Amino acid sequence: MENAIKVTELRKVFDHHVAIEDISFSVKPGEIFGLLGPSGSGKTTTIKILTGELGQTAGDVNVLDISAPLFRTADFKSKIGILSDNSTLYERLTVYDNLKLFCKLYDAPLEQIDVMLDQVNLKEARSKVVSKLSKGMKQRVLLAKALIHKPDLVFLDEPTSALDPGNMAHIHRGLQKLNDAGTTIFITTHDMEEATELCDRVAFLDNGKIQELGSPAELRYKYSTHAFHIETFENERLVMANEAGSADKIRDLIANGKLKSIQSDHPTLGQVFLKITGKELA
Amino acid sequence: MNTQRIGAIFEKDLKDFMKNMMLLTMPIIPIILALIYSRLGGDEGLPISMLYLIVGVTFSSVTSSCMMTMMAEENEKKTLRGLMLSPASFMDIIVGKSLVVGLMTFIALAISLLLVGMKPFLNVQAIIGLILLFLFFLFLGIGIGLFTKSVASTSAYLMPVMFLFGFTPMIDFLGLGEDSIAITVAELFPLMQLIIMHETNSWVPIGIVAIWTIAAAAFTYICFKKERTDD
Ligand SMILES: Nc1ncnc2c1ncn2[C@@H]1O[C@H](COP(=O)(O)OP(=O)(O)OP(=O)(O)O)[C@@H](O)[C@H]1O
Ligand SMILES: [Mg+2]
Repeated sequence: MENAIKVTELRKVFDHHVAIEDISFSVKPGEIFGLLGPSGSGKTTTIKILTGELGQTAGDVNVLDISAPLFRTADFKSKIGILSDNSTLYERLTVYDNLKLFCKLYDAPLEQIDVMLDQVNLKEARSKVVSKLSKGMKQRVLLAKALIHKPDLVFLDEPTSALDPGNMAHIHRGLQKLNDAGTTIFITTHDMEEATELCDRVAFLDNGKIQELGSPAELRYKYSTHAFHIETFENERLVMANEAGSADKIRDLIANGKLKSIQSDHPTLGQVFLKITGKELA
Repeated sequence: MNTQRIGAIFEKDLKDFMKNMMLLTMPIIPIILALIYSRLGGDEGLPISMLYLIVGVTFSSVTSSCMMTMMAEENEKKTLRGLMLSPASFMDIIVGKSLVVGLMTFIALAISLLLVGMKPFLNVQAIIGLILLFLFFLFLGIGIGLFTKSVASTSAYLMPVMFLFGFTPMIDFLGLGEDSIAITVAELFPLMQLIIMHETNSWVPIGIVAIWTIAAAAFTYICFKKERTDD
């Protein structure tokens, strides 16, 4: 399999409103691919099309060598895992009973329930009724549900938006481990730090179009001015271009004992996004 | 259809049913009614129309009502989406739920009829009639459940189902003339046909109830097509 996901000229129109405008990209097997963009940019719509929940208006979509018309088959659905936006659990049932349902629907062994509860740090909540859980705990149960049948490819729509930093780090480690074992991960997020840490490649989506695509390091380098930001002990701030002429000036500062700090311009992914779209990501 | 997935839905819905006070009270309604009626019966037992009133109450307040409530709740709480994204087909989901509703209906009906007199129902013709009637109410429940988006709105649909099809024998108490149009029309309703069946031993009423059941199935199918094809 060359690509886990291949999208060509995908377009989605909701009664006259163009939500996705002719986007193309591909995701390699084993990759963690991030789709980043502000609210309303079309992230969820893209995931819905990739998982067969919505049909596309135009373009080709291919996932795990299966093309869009066959996305509604049980065979396709059992190959992928989904944590959708606004996913919910059965509130009156226990965590265990919720996971048991999906274990059986996906034909996974019941031992997987405890394995997954351990992975999402929820072993002690096993017999708790879902309505008694916090938002972050529910989110982790949903994540366990999405992964319970060990899918080759998972779609995670803002999986960590309700989590505190501790649990977020725990989930990130878990996803990394999952990815090391070969699972392809397609993730959407507003969180640029998360994307930088987790993703092999990211696509910036804005107004239904992909504005930029590449590895976080590549993009950060590409949108850097490459200038040096210098601070002296006289509290002077200087910006010097990365060129031969700067070398002497910097050497002089060092030689005269004036150089307090020197940094090369290295924008964060959030700053890159701002440069490209003029928009801050919340 | 897949039996393991149907089994998984059945198990989930049964557990959920047992923890849902609103659903749990439904099967109690016909049983209480049967308890009250059983005191009135005297030695010869209750008239057939009273027995079928209890059947009608059971099928409308347990079969139709529980089915539409369960489906509306899956819609309202957005859990249906999770099921639809899983390998379970819509058919698996409906069949799994129908089995739970069928079980609850059976229990409620068995207890109610034990209280008021089982005897008139212990023949092939009556049992076929009950099964057809059950399917009629089940299809109505599924059809309505497909388009109701919240539990609160189900009662608006349940009322007409109850009064038209569940309480039909009550029309005799409205004091209408023997040959009024309302009575003539009501005679054609499934519950009345089954009462006529007992009086005449004819199979024609069974045929008419079967037509009602097929019509309800068609209604469900239309609701399904309407709801499941708009992306
Ligand atoms: N079913 C629908 N009918 C009509 N318009 C829709 C529908 N679903 C989404 N849209 C529109 O498509 C656009 C993209 O929505 P989408 O949910 O994909 O955004 P998103 O990037 O996931 O946003 P968020 O970060 O808030 O989740 C929005 O303008 C939205 O209003
Ligand atoms: Mg979204």
